[in-house]
Amino acid sequence: MTTGIVYHTEFLAHEQHPLHPERRERLAYTDDQITEEGLWEDPRIVRLDPRYASREELSRVHDEHYLDFLEQSSRTGGVIDLDTLIPPGLFTQARLAAGGSLVAGESVLAGVVRNAFAMVRPPGHHAGTYSGAGFCYLNNIAIMVQSLKNLGCRRILILDWDAHHGNGTQEIFYEDPDVLFTSIHQSPFYPGTGDVTEIGAGEGRGYTINMPVPAGSSDEVYQYLLSEVIVPVAKEFKPDFIAISAGQDNHFSDPLTGLALTAKGYASMMASAVGIADQECAGRLAAILEGGYSVEGGLPYTNIGIIAALAGMNLSNIRDPSSYEPLLQQARDPAALSRVEAMVGRIRETHGDVWSCLS
Amino acid sequence: MLFTGVDIGGTNTDIAIVDGGVLTRKVPNDAGLKRALDSLEIRGRLAVSTSQPLNRLVTGRPSSVHSITIPGPGLPSPGSVAGMVNHRGDVLEEIDPAAIRAVLEEQVSEYLAICGKFSVRNPALEEQVKAIALSYYPPGRVATSHGLARLGFPARRVTTEVNARILEIVAEMTRTISPYARDFLFFKGDGGLTSAGAVLQNPSVLFNSSPAAVALGARYLSGRSDCLVVDIGGTTTDLVPLYNGAPRMQDIRIDGNITFIRSIQVVNIPFGGDSVIETDLCPRREGNPMAFGGVRPTLTDALNCCGASIGDATRSRSMDPAIAEQAVREYISGVSEEVHASGAEIIVGTGYLAGHLIPEISREAGVRCIIPEHADCANAIGVAVSRVSLSLWVHMDTGKGRMVINGDLMRIDQDMDDDELIAWCKEEVRRRAVEMGAPEEDVADVSLEYFHAYDVVRYGRRTERIADLQVSIAPGITVDAE
Repeated sequence: MTTGIVYHTEFLAHEQHPLHPERRERLAYTDDQITEEGLWEDPRIVRLDPRYASREELSRVHDEHYLDFLEQSSRTGGVIDLDTLIPPGLFTQARLAAGGSLVAGESVLAGVVRNAFAMVRPPGHHAGTYSGAGFCYLNNIAIMVQSLKNLGCRRILILDWDAHHGNGTQEIFYEDPDVLFTSIHQSPFYPGTGDVTEIGAGEGRGYTINMPVPAGSSDEVYQYLLSEVIVPVAKEFKPDFIAISAGQDNHFSDPLTGLALTAKGYASMMASAVGIADQECAGRLAAILEGGYSVEGGLPYTNIGIIAALAGMNLSNIRDPSSYEPLLQQARDPAALSRVEAMVGRIRETHGDVWSCLS
Repeated sequence: MLFTGVDIGGTNTDIAIVDGGVLTRKVPNDAGLKRALDSLEIRGRLAVSTSQPLNRLVTGRPSSVHSITIPGPGLPSPGSVAGMVNHRGDVLEEIDPAAIRAVLEEQVSEYLAICGKFSVRNPALEEQVKAIALSYYPPGRVATSHGLARLGFPARRVTTEVNARILEIVAEMTRTISPYARDFLFFKGDGGLTSAGAVLQNPSVLFNSSPAAVALGARYLSGRSDCLVVDIGGTTTDLVPLYNGAPRMQDIRIDGNITFIRSIQVVNIPFGGDSVIETDLCPRREGNPMAFGGVRPTLTDALNCCGASIGDATRSRSMDPAIAEQAVREYISGVSEEVHASGAEIIVGTGYLAGHLIPEISREAGVRCIIPEHADCANAIGVAVSRVSLSLWVHMDTGKGRMVINGDLMRIDQDMDDDELIAWCKEEVRRRAVEMGAPEEDVADVSLEYFHAYDVVRYGRRTERIADLQVSIAPGITVDAE
């Protein structure tokens, strides 16, 4: 079986303005790296073309007034917040990113590919029902998850490992017990949400699990959270699909964040996720690109790691250039792990009554 | 203008001299390339297609090639040594000369291929490994990958292995041919011509050039730009569709691995004039037809039994006429099925037996046919009338002050905007083609195949610009022969 990569040069077209961190340069080096690795020709990889998400597909997640506003502002240009401008043509580009995510989910569900990675721009996980924020306009992963539910998936696990809390996604599924939202994010940090105590509401109580981590958290922290929280909860939840908000701004070279994950760390994290998917849901997994602003020094290596892990390739040589070592040592805080252990203790307290594996 | 074209085939070398009229000749290969060249008075521009000997090397018994690869971070590769060039062309990790010497001392083989990831952005590490390797291998047996110009490390690695194996024989051929015409050109698998110097950088361009030569010759002789060329050879029959005068191109695979070896798309039917007939037509050659001194009956002999007179037709008559007729019928219906399936409306027949078989094939397939004069030497004529084709793969990085053209690094001291860069590259490809001997009219059309550029932003400021582009002069018929 193969791994699908949803990619299109149109994903490079979006720019709020040429100097914005979420700019077209973001994927250019990654595209070079993928091409040089020969992945587009590799029999284990299938390139999938995106499509435009329909208005109806967007409406399952977003409010009609917000969609009208976005569509109208895209004609002349507009503003959501200072980080999230609406350049002319934005609505079309955002619909392509949402549609690219839909293609990833649908292709996996239909068995066209075993799993998939939608390398889309602009990102989506800060966009809520009523508004965009933080470089995000349409919530790509939520739109995909709603569509998968419509197509018959009963329980979907979302793992959001972007450095920023996926507040939009959390809000959309906050009361939904069929969508388990888990997030590892830097805290304190933008957007300020994502505390352990935000656990979901109504029928969805307990189906939001936030894992805030301090700056300096590195590979061992993420592996710890996978083995202590995510894997046990996934086994208990028994998802029939795993959706990943695969932000790459937790790389130690990212200029906007303070985390310290390595390319190898990304690859092992994705390999673990693939392992859970293999055990729980016949491998069905789709990853959607979110943030990641170390465009030149980080993304080429982390993206290759993610793709290689999805495709079950040899990960022994996935790493960052050795000259980055001092930067990693600077970014990494060995004390982070003990603070994260304490945080997991709090998760056991808040979630123990819903999840027997955490009690 | 006068043009001489030479196509070295499996058994014969075909020669064509085109100067308004056409003169053709066939010389058996047994005597060697030098004898074939001695036999003609070379006039005007000399172009040579040598695909057969190279095809044998590429597809035949694998000779021992050792690959040294410099993969850096990412996917692993066999034969890897330390060292890393990144996507910007910066050397981020150095090679370890002692380790490389140890590998070279331990691994003894006939040829050496050196391939580093992103060497097309900076060839420095490949060159350093090569410098070390030259203490262990003669220069003619070492190939590097950066001259292949394109991103795609696995395809470059396999192509470099092919180049390592054929470099020496191509160099030898060049030495044999150049005394006859110092500025001779090689005919490539894409149907265009190039200089011997360029071929020595990437000899794999010579692979499988014969079908391209036939296609071009058929177009020249028939004046048809959209047709199906049906070339009946000794061992195979090749079907090549032409669209707007050009065949379709593809990168070939070797043992399932993608390469950067371009070849035209051909439908190959494993029967030709020398195919042996037992009770049925067999897909193999065992020497010449009886009509040409062979001992086994062939399709050619069968045609003689059915009334043709090819070679010494009396020698073919020992065949059972019923078997002969059956074999001819079998061949014709097999080929017409393929012709019919191709959807072509008109076929152009070439090859020695075209006149005997094409009319019947066209009737059975229900399509029109043309058998041009000199159809038996369409290959050599195609070589003679071809023109220089050339692509430049350019990567410009103003931040590094570097431009890489087809794997060669040069410094840039002044910034160019996108339009200036494109214009400069178009002029450069023209200049290089003219330097190879192309007339100005042949290089008038330069196509921009690809362009992608973006700004590098640091600390909220636009600091650098990176551009990738490809410009090409397409293969075709030289203006001077039209």
